[in-house]
Amino acid sequence: MNVLAWCVAAWLLGVGIYGIVTSRHYVHLIGCMTVCQSATYVLLLGIGFRWGAGPPIFYDHPPGTPAVDPVMQALVLTDIVVGAAMTALLLAIALQVHKRRGTLDPQHLRPLRPRE
Amino acid sequence: MTGSWRLALLAPALVVLAIAAAQVILAMPAFGHPLSQYGATVDALVPMLRNVSNMVAAVNFDIRSIDTLGEESMLICAVTATVVLLRGHRGEGMTECAGRLPGRVWLERSDATVLMCRLAATTLFLYGVNVVLHGTVTPGGGFQGGAIAASSFVLIYLGEGYSTWRDVLHSETLAAVEGFGGFVFAMAAMVPLAFGYAAAQNVLPLGTWKDLYSGGLMVIVNAAVGVAVIGSFGVLLMEFMEETRAPKPGDEDDEDQEEGA
Repeated sequence: MNVLAWCVAAWLLGVGIYGIVTSRHYVHLIGCMTVCQSATYVLLLGIGFRWGAGPPIFYDHPPGTPAVDPVMQALVLTDIVVGAAMTALLLAIALQVHKRRGTLDPQHLRPLRPRE
Repeated sequence: MTGSWRLALLAPALVVLAIAAAQVILAMPAFGHPLSQYGATVDALVPMLRNVSNMVAAVNFDIRSIDTLGEESMLICAVTATVVLLRGHRGEGMTECAGRLPGRVWLERSDATVLMCRLAATTLFLYGVNVVLHGTVTPGGGFQGGAIAASSFVLIYLGEGYSTWRDVLHSETLAAVEGFGGFVFAMAAMVPLAFGYAAAQNVLPLGTWKDLYSGGLMVIVNAAVGVAVIGSFGVLLMEFMEETRAPKPGDEDDEDQEEGA
């Protein structure tokens, strides 16, 4: 149980990398990148977790009751926001690549070679 | 590189990753017993110091406010880059006619869809604004509430169709809203400097705990982030939807289109 969260994070990263390497479509590849990124959510939330603690929002329970680490939750929030913006940017790139090359299969793109 | 070559290269990389991950996992602190004093200190002190109840918002908008300003700038930069990439040769001249694939059946929207979308879009937008405004009190804040409010734009598109959607939302307005939010955040960080305080120092009266106005400068920063996120997501949706409209002749780079087809 103690190592489960860290194992899940490592497994998500590995699965995401496998997906990126074997991907045959750029949109699928972007999805795999977000899987890699979700490893960081699990890792950060796992680091901040505390047994028997509530949320770091002292509305219903008074300040001083045990709460999980708010800094880690703020970092995950930053992570998600930047991730969403980057996904949009990558999808825009994928659209332009499809307009220019007519395919989104990395196998057929060969970006370093001139257009036939 | 063929698929089998990729897998052959991946296998040793994953083995190395597995060994490294195992080393790190064994060295990690016990799960559920965080070592960081930072978070514990925030939990213990900040409710009294800033009169706010949401510690995540306090970390984002006060204690690490400058970091969040950087994050906000990243968001705005990424959105700008997306807009530039998507517009490409299209420019800003836009028709208000949805593109249609030849042969696709055209179905009229039912009244029930239109009604539900109108009700849900309004409710969702107000709920998003509510989540933004109570950011320092209850779970939520500028980023979360802004994303909720901006998703009501999709419901407007779903219920009203493309041309009405374009009548209601203007990309200039959304871009101005986004820029205004970013500007207010930057000013909230800079104006205290002009009066001899530290950047983004919380110089406003702190308000009362559990009240809508609690946290001083945090309230302004939180609202500014909410406004900026609504604008950013709106601009993104608008530009991606623009890809579906009917191209005007000479408006788009036809050469690329033909080659792509």
